[in-house]
Parts: sequence; structure tokens; C-alpha cells
Amino acid sequence: MTSKTITSNVYDWVDERLGLSEIAAFARHKSVPVHAQSFWYYWGGISLFLFLVQCFTGVLLLVYYRPGADAFESVRQITFVMHFGWLIRSAHSWSANLMIFAILVHMFSVFFMKAYRKPREFGWLSGMALLGIASVFGFSGYLLPMDELSYFATKVGLEIPMAIPWIGPIIANMLRGGPEVSEFTVQRFFALHVVVLPALFLPLLGFHLWLVQRHGNALPPSEEAKPARECKSMPFMPNFLRKDLAMWLISLNILALLASVFPWSLGKQYDALAPAPMGIHPEWYFMSPFEMLKILGAFLPGAIGEITGILLFTLGIVLWILIPFYDANKESGKRARIAHYFGLLAIVALLSTTLIGYWTIR
Amino acid sequence: MNYPFWEIPFLGSGWVIGIIAIFHVMISQFAVGGGLYLPMAERKAMRIADPDLRAAWMKQIASHSKFFLILTGVFGTVSGVGIWFAIGLTHPEATSTLIHNFVFGWAMEWVFFLVELTTVAVYYYTWDRIDEKLHLKVGWVYAGASAATLIIINGILAFMLTPGDTWLAVAGTGHEASKFWTAFFNPTYWPSLLLRTCVCCSLAGVWALITSSQSDSDKQPALKTSTVQWSVRWLVPSFVAIPFLMIWYYMMVPSSQQALLTLGIDTINAGTFSIVTRMALVIIVTSATIVGVAYYLAYRNPLDFNLSHAMAVLLLALIATGAGEYSREMLRKPYVIGHWMYSNGVRVPNVERINREGYLANSEWVWNNSASSYSRGEAIFRGECGSCHTMDGYRPMRQLLSGRDRVNIGAMVTMLHDNKLDSPYRRFMPPMAGTQQDINDLTDFLNVKVNPPASSGQVPVQTAQK
Repeated sequence: MTSKTITSNVYDWVDERLGLSEIAAFARHKSVPVHAQSFWYYWGGISLFLFLVQCFTGVLLLVYYRPGADAFESVRQITFVMHFGWLIRSAHSWSANLMIFAILVHMFSVFFMKAYRKPREFGWLSGMALLGIASVFGFSGYLLPMDELSYFATKVGLEIPMAIPWIGPIIANMLRGGPEVSEFTVQRFFALHVVVLPALFLPLLGFHLWLVQRHGNALPPSEEAKPARECKSMPFMPNFLRKDLAMWLISLNILALLASVFPWSLGKQYDALAPAPMGIHPEWYFMSPFEMLKILGAFLPGAIGEITGILLFTLGIVLWILIPFYDANKESGKRARIAHYFGLLAIVALLSTTLIGYWTIR
Repeated sequence: MNYPFWEIPFLGSGWVIGIIAIFHVMISQFAVGGGLYLPMAERKAMRIADPDLRAAWMKQIASHSKFFLILTGVFGTVSGVGIWFAIGLTHPEATSTLIHNFVFGWAMEWVFFLVELTTVAVYYYTWDRIDEKLHLKVGWVYAGASAATLIIINGILAFMLTPGDTWLAVAGTGHEASKFWTAFFNPTYWPSLLLRTCVCCSLAGVWALITSSQSDSDKQPALKTSTVQWSVRWLVPSFVAIPFLMIWYYMMVPSSQQALLTLGIDTINAGTFSIVTRMALVIIVTSATIVGVAYYLAYRNPLDFNLSHAMAVLLLALIATGAGEYSREMLRKPYVIGHWMYSNGVRVPNVERINREGYLANSEWVWNNSASSYSRGEAIFRGECGSCHTMDGYRPMRQLLSGRDRVNIGAMVTMLHDNKLDSPYRRFMPPMAGTQQDINDLTDFLNVKVNPPASSGQVPVQTAQK
């Protein structure tokens, strides 16, 4: 029996039980629009790829990481003692940052292509939930090395919910496992990072991907306006898939380059009694809200400013999430334009406050 | 800038050479590989039976040769001269050794370089003006001349890593040039030559993909398919041979240099010289990606292969080439000429004399007669440390020594001076050559820089400029 015959027999055996031919036939009939903005279709796939990298590297880190009192020492061993431990940790940290960047690009491209409109509202909502969970992944993972920077940044970060009246201190204490950031906080963040968040993220991701398969790629308004005969498309299998995989490869190269040239280092071990070092700041994806609160605090000092800031920021996020119900379809007219300007305003606000944030900590 | 010793803040003088050299290598290796690609492509076109496809191929090659002429003739030559300026300022001692030892080699290289420049211009400007066969011969002459430049320059570059025992036996006697050929055909000559030849062919294919990807898939499918696939084939020999050549090259490198490749396996700690390992990883990942993309996106689907894909492949190839050149340079540490001259320009046999008489008394490139310890220390820093370290940028001293007080800094400098067999720095750093006074002067200077005057109580008096 030749190897070809064996392969064919194995495929037939699996196909009979799982219906692979039907899936292949479905993929062959599925098509992806081709137009000037097609480039933005790849960002969802890039985000997925970077998430897979994190799952893989995260499991490897899990083998050696010890939450609690040994947290810093275990990360020190991973980074400075174990063979290629630094590479796995760097790949994990860089892919986390790149994933959040890719999700943000994906979100804004979906927004400006109006891909949240009917019937894709659930796609938008699930995507926003995934971004929210990814942010919490970032926040919880940042503390795990328990070095000086991560300790004080988390301490500052957990002071933000403290400003919420009544329930704020309860939430903060629950997250910290006490009145101060300590080894108990690491235990909690670790459980959150490797159990709770994946348990929420994975089914939601499956739902999001199923919706993408169900509704296909949305056309931007400029393409929707064209007559059908002028619209081009390409088969999902193999053309789009091939290009998608090429983008994954490019992402892998960027990741390898960053992890190798700028490996993720480790600061000094935290000392709860020491003063916070200069220039403590949150990760770049939290810099914008952090800076907005700072700016508002300059005008409204004290708790009033903090509460107002949190309320305004929450209102902005709620409006952003509800945009599919405001600009619901292509007949939206004036609402579509307002939504467009809202998106531009969001980009300008995020970029400018992030830049100001980094400028002022120099 | 303080001629003749070049101080580039933040970037460091070494990186000035590095940037120019990496840029130059990317183009010059294309000049060699592309020099072979052009006449081979022209010969292939001449054998195509279909007159329309033949004409389209010829037009495409002519267009490619214009791009080739501009890139290699302008950017390649200018950056080549730039390297001479940069190495002369940064490493006057090493440059002097290379010139004196290989003066005949440089002369030959310049002759072939002139032939190269002339023939590439003739090749481009005589398209459709002279007989086809004669035009092809011009292309072959260019290919031969550009290959000759690689054959010669490779000998000199490989010499810097592995000068060989025969040359080292006469080094410093004034008879170094008598061992020209043994220095030239040094232990890493052949693996290095074959490696570079493979890289040249790959770069020829990669750059050709830029031109061929721009053909119109709808109007000229046959042209695009054949040129894209033919260009991809230029990558095949390299990716079959390179892994074996790398192993051969590695085996020929001295064991002390082989060890540098493994320093970054288990750590990224500052000052552990883990960069060679990290760069090797970049080369592996980018090279594997080029193979995958070139095969699946270009060879299997030439009509879908567009300029942005070609640019991505080119970018990866440039990253791989740059990382390769950077690793090769780093692999020489702590020498700039293996076992003869340290990377700060101090000759290995001179260390003992400098330890007795002092660094400044023996340096031809920095002078300082100041009574100030700080000022003498600054001069020693420029001479002994400045070719690899800056104060705040590349390999920053302020960061590497942060947290150390004067006693600790002094202990560090003494450790570098003693250069004992168990010193971790011995593998990649030259010894600090000088007297006890030099050690104190350098320590004073570094202490003032790391621990600002307010805390150290010392005030910088003057700089080491003459």
C-alpha cells in the first residue's frame, strides 16, 4: 500500500465520522471581498495568532513560575538562568502588547468600515468584551514578576477603583487580598490570569469567530455603494487563508525581532517599604485613561475629580459599545457621519493623552 | 567630534561603521548576485521560442538593469567609500594593519571595482544598441568582475576573524605582508566565501522579485509567472546549502569565539554579551520565513504575488543579512583582528608594555598631559572603551555601572585590568591596559559620570581634547 493510499484511507475514515468534506466545501464557497481597504481584514487574524502565541508561551512559563512569595525569584530564574527562558518570557510579554495593539487596530477598522451594523451587532459586542478581557489579562499579568515597577504600577492602578463611592474600596481590597499589594495579590492575579480570564475569553472568542463565519466580512460603505458587478472577491480557501497565514508569519517575525533585540528584562525585587521609584506609569494601553484622570484632577482636585473622571470615561466607553444601535444600518445618514466623527475624536483623544502621558513622565 | 579619536554620543562610533556597513553589504552582495542574475536572465530570454514572451523578458531585464545600475552604482559605491572614512576614524590601528598587510589585495579589488562600474554602465546604456551576443558578453564581464571583488574582500574580512597561526607568527615583525596568501586563504576563507556567494544569489532573487512582482497579472500572465518563478529559484541553492555552510564556518571559528554564540542561551543579563545568540535566532526565523513565503506565495501563486509581498520578502532578507553581518562582527570580540589586536585597537603583545609604562604614553591617538585624574581618565576612556561603549546610549556606562560607588567601580576596572582566566568579561572584552595610575584615573572619571559630582564631591576639571 502506497503512502498516498494510506493518507487517502485515513482521510476517508476521519471524513466519514467528522464530515471534513462538508467543511472543505463550505470553505471553498466562502469568499472575501477585495477592495482598497482589504488590508484591514487581516487584523482580526493577527490578533488571534498573537493570542495563540500567548497560550503556547504561557503554558511554558507556567511550568516554572511560582506565584506567591517566590514569584520574583521564579521569574528571575526563568529570565537569567534557564535555557531560552528569557525568550519564552519575552515572546509572551511582547505578544501580549502586540495583541492589544492588533485588537485596537481591528476595532477601529471595524468601526470605520461600519462593520458593526446590522446584522453584526453581536460581533461588535463580543469583540468589545474580548478587548476588555484582554486588558485585564494585561493588568493581571503585569504584576506577576513582582519587580519594583510592576509592584508600584499595580499599586497605583488599584487606587483608581478606590475612588468609586462605597463599593470602590471593597473591590480594591478583594483584588489585593488585603489593604496592600502583597504576595496574596499575586496569588489572586495569577488565578485570574491563568484560570478565570481564559475561561471567559475562550468561549467568547469561539462565539466571535463563529459570528465572523456566519456573516462574513463586511463591505465598507464606499464598496457597498458600488454596483454588484464592480465588486471583486477572492475565495477564502485557499487564497485568503494563504494571505492570512503570510500575515501570521510576518507577525511572528516582528515578534521574534522584538523579543530578540529588546528582550523583556526584570527590574529589582519589590520592596513594599521603599518609596516608589521615579516615573512609575501604567502600560501604554492604560496610559490614556490614566492621563485623562490626571488632567481632570488638575481642574477638579480631590475625590470629586476622580469620580467625575471615572464617570466620564465610563460614559465614553458605554457610548462606544452602543454605537451599533445608534448607527444601525446604511440608511443612517446623519447618524453615520456623527458616528464617524465620534471615532475620529476617540482616536485623537487616545493618541494625544497617551503622548502627553509619556511626555510628562520623562 | 574630536579628531583623530572619534566620539559619537549615544550611538557610538562602532554603530556608525555598523550602519554604513550593513547598508553597504546589502547592496554590494546584491551587486555580486545580481551581476550573475542579469546575464543568466538575458541568456534565458534569448532562448525563449515565443517572440512575444522573449521581447517581454528582455524589456523586463532592461528595466531591472536600470534599477540595478542606480542602486549599486550610486548607493553601493557611496556607502563603500563611507566605510573607509568611518573605519579610518574609529579604528585607525586596525585600518592601518589591513592596508599594510593587504595593499596588493586592495589594489586588485580597486581594479575589479573600476571594471565593475564601467561594465554595468555599458551594459545598461547599450540595450538595443549593440549586437545581442556582445551585450551578453558585457554582462558576463560584469559578473566576473563583481565576483572577483567578493573573492578578494572575503579574504580580508575572514582574516580579521581568523588570521591564522602562520600570519600571527610574523605579526609585529614588519614581515607580515610576506604571509599575504596564508593570511588571505585563512581558516574561515572558504566557508565564508561560499556562504557569501549563497547570500548574494539569494539577494539577487529577492531583489528581482521586486521588479517581477510589478508585471500585470491580467495582461502578461505568462511573463509574470515565468519571471517570478525563475527569481524564486535563485533562493533554492542558498537555503539548501546555508545550514551546512554555517556548520562548516562554525567549526572553523576558534573555540573561544564559538563560545560567544552560546552566551545568550540562558540569560539576557546586562553585560553578559548575549546579543550574538539573539541575533542568531533572528537569522533563523527570518530565513525560514523567506523560504516559506517565497515558495507558497511566489512560486506556487506567482500571479497573486504583488509588490507588497515582494517588499515584505526583501525586508526580511535585509533583516537576515543585517543580523548576519552584525553577528559576524560581534563574533570577533574581544578582538578586531583575531588574537592580534583587541577591539579597542590595543595590540595583544603591547598589553604588558602598556601595563608598565601607562596607556597615554603609548597611545598614538589620544593625548593628555593634564594633572587632573578625571581628565586623564576621560582620555583613557576614549581610547580603551569608546570604540564599544557610550556614556548614555549604546552599551551605556552610566546604566551598566549604576548602583556602584567608587570602590565598586574601581574593583570592576581592576578586574578588567587583571583579565584573569576566570573573569566572565574575558570572553568578549579586551583587558584594561595601563598602570595602577591609569586604573585610578579611569575609575575617577567613571565615578564622576555615574555618581554625579554633588554626591561624589569631585568636579570635572577639563576634557581630554587636545
